[in-house]
Amino acid sequence: MSDLNETAVEQRTPRPVEAPWHRFLPWGALIVLMLAMLGLQSQLYVGQERTVTTILMFVALAQAWNIIGGFTGYACFGQVVFFGIGGYATAVMMVHLHVSFWLALSLSGVGAAVFGAVIGLPLLRLKGHYFAIATLGVAEGMRELVTNLPRLTGGGAGITVPTVGEDATTAYLGNDGFYLLFLAIAGLAVATALLISRSRFGFALRAIHQDEDAAAAMGINTTRAKVLAFSLSGLLTGLVGATYAFQQVVIFPDRLFDVEITVLMVVMVVIGGSGTVLGPLLGAVGLQFLSEYLRNHYTNAHTFILGAIIIVAVIFLPQGLVNYVREARHSGNFSLLANVRRFRL
Amino acid sequence: MSDTPVLETRGLGRRFGGLEAVSDVSFSVPRGEILGVIGPNGAGKSTFINLVTGHVRPSAGSVHVNGVDVTGAKPWKIAKLRVARTFQIVKPFRGMTVRENVAVGVLYGPHRATSMSKALARADEVLADVGLADSTDRAPAELSTADARRLELAKALALDPQLLLLDEVMAGLRYNEIEPSLELLRRLRDQGLTIIVVEHVMKAIREVSDQILVMHQGRVLTSGDPDDVLSDPRVIEAYLGKRYADRQASERDV
Repeated sequence: MSDLNETAVEQRTPRPVEAPWHRFLPWGALIVLMLAMLGLQSQLYVGQERTVTTILMFVALAQAWNIIGGFTGYACFGQVVFFGIGGYATAVMMVHLHVSFWLALSLSGVGAAVFGAVIGLPLLRLKGHYFAIATLGVAEGMRELVTNLPRLTGGGAGITVPTVGEDATTAYLGNDGFYLLFLAIAGLAVATALLISRSRFGFALRAIHQDEDAAAAMGINTTRAKVLAFSLSGLLTGLVGATYAFQQVVIFPDRLFDVEITVLMVVMVVIGGSGTVLGPLLGAVGLQFLSEYLRNHYTNAHTFILGAIIIVAVIFLPQGLVNYVREARHSGNFSLLANVRRFRL
Repeated sequence: MSDTPVLETRGLGRRFGGLEAVSDVSFSVPRGEILGVIGPNGAGKSTFINLVTGHVRPSAGSVHVNGVDVTGAKPWKIAKLRVARTFQIVKPFRGMTVRENVAVGVLYGPHRATSMSKALARADEVLADVGLADSTDRAPAELSTADARRLELAKALALDPQLLLLDEVMAGLRYNEIEPSLELLRRLRDQGLTIIVVEHVMKAIREVSDQILVMHQGRVLTSGDPDDVLSDPRVIEAYLGKRYADRQASERDV
């Protein structure tokens, strides 16, 4: 068989490393998609607009988790800590320091990024389950801390962001405003993932994902790359949390540090295809749509059905939809059963 | 410059709990030579490589590359000094093509490539060098054992090394696959590389090495010309036991 292949290989003309149009295709698609979402806005009812806004929020969250959990391979189970920090930093700054939302949003993002770097330095020495558990612990600890600082954060009773009257530093953005802001953040997150996937930095993260010793032997400063990835992931998640806090007006520690938000990010990325740009996008859109549809049509059983669908999806596509399609196209074998067998489930 | 050895270790040692994996290893490798390192299983050969490349921190002694003390430096810093290595158990970056695997070294190595397209083009050259030109677009998992070893070597060569440490690159190869590998090592040496080859395949190491160093129980047993070293009774004893060495010696006397 190898003899047959060799003659074929010799006749093959060398392929160019990468066709130029191939490079710009995803960027073109992203721009078209953003414009389509802008156009879509005026066609939506209020309820639909809110649903799509939530989808956009999860696209950004999934993509942020993908940077550390997907590309770098460090499954962070406490990602919600950045969401909570972003939200609470914004609320506290707007209430106590009377700064505008836009300033608070920027500072919250930076704060989440710095927090990511600071906890990343010790935590990213851990691997696998240990890293997952440690980050989970950080998120739970931060929720307790926020709950127990009532004078600063309002404690368990929550904190209200001023949106009307003299205390309001920035006028409430309304449904239209938050749709646009979440669209911008989702676009930023997807663009960041796209940049990473094709850059030197992305190669470093993927190498670290596979084998850190081998990555270091290739000259990659693994500590710096991991901390940078974690920090970047924290930045994006913090921006989403900050916007969410302003959108909700009243925020509580139990919601802002809800482990369910982390779980959703992980599930969206894993089902869509971790370590890809398209995967988390499809995962977030698909899962949110499905969840919304089931909630409207099977009110009583919707979480049950959603859970069952997730289980089936993970059994048949353990590597995620996008990775499955990519591998199946490469090997020419689209059999789902073969895919299940390949992962020995 | 040329009289400074590429690599010198002084009293290098590493203890894992109660086990002295490597102790008091002092030697230097002249530029442009192939040094073969042999020794029974557990002699400390792989630990020795890990100590040189920074993957394991020494608990005693020092490592000098081109006369510069690099003891305890991180692996990525040592890689930037054009010291490259392969791993005994191949460590390809799965999820990347063969070409991308090699490009990582070009992107992060001592001469950071300025662009992705240049890095990929350079990766193709390196792959052609080791005989993997036809496999650039394949996934590492699709490669045969021999080709996977070649990829491991190509990744190391992507750093444009002056010192290359090879941890059993010929293990698992068939007899007819070994000769091309030896040929490649000789060619690399003639281009000016200094190469340290850790190997179990005795015939291969005798053919290719300019000098041989024998490790036993973490220490240097002896070193020197390949033929002298391999007929040294102490070396035979370390490998095959004292009784065998005695019998060989008595047969020689008769």
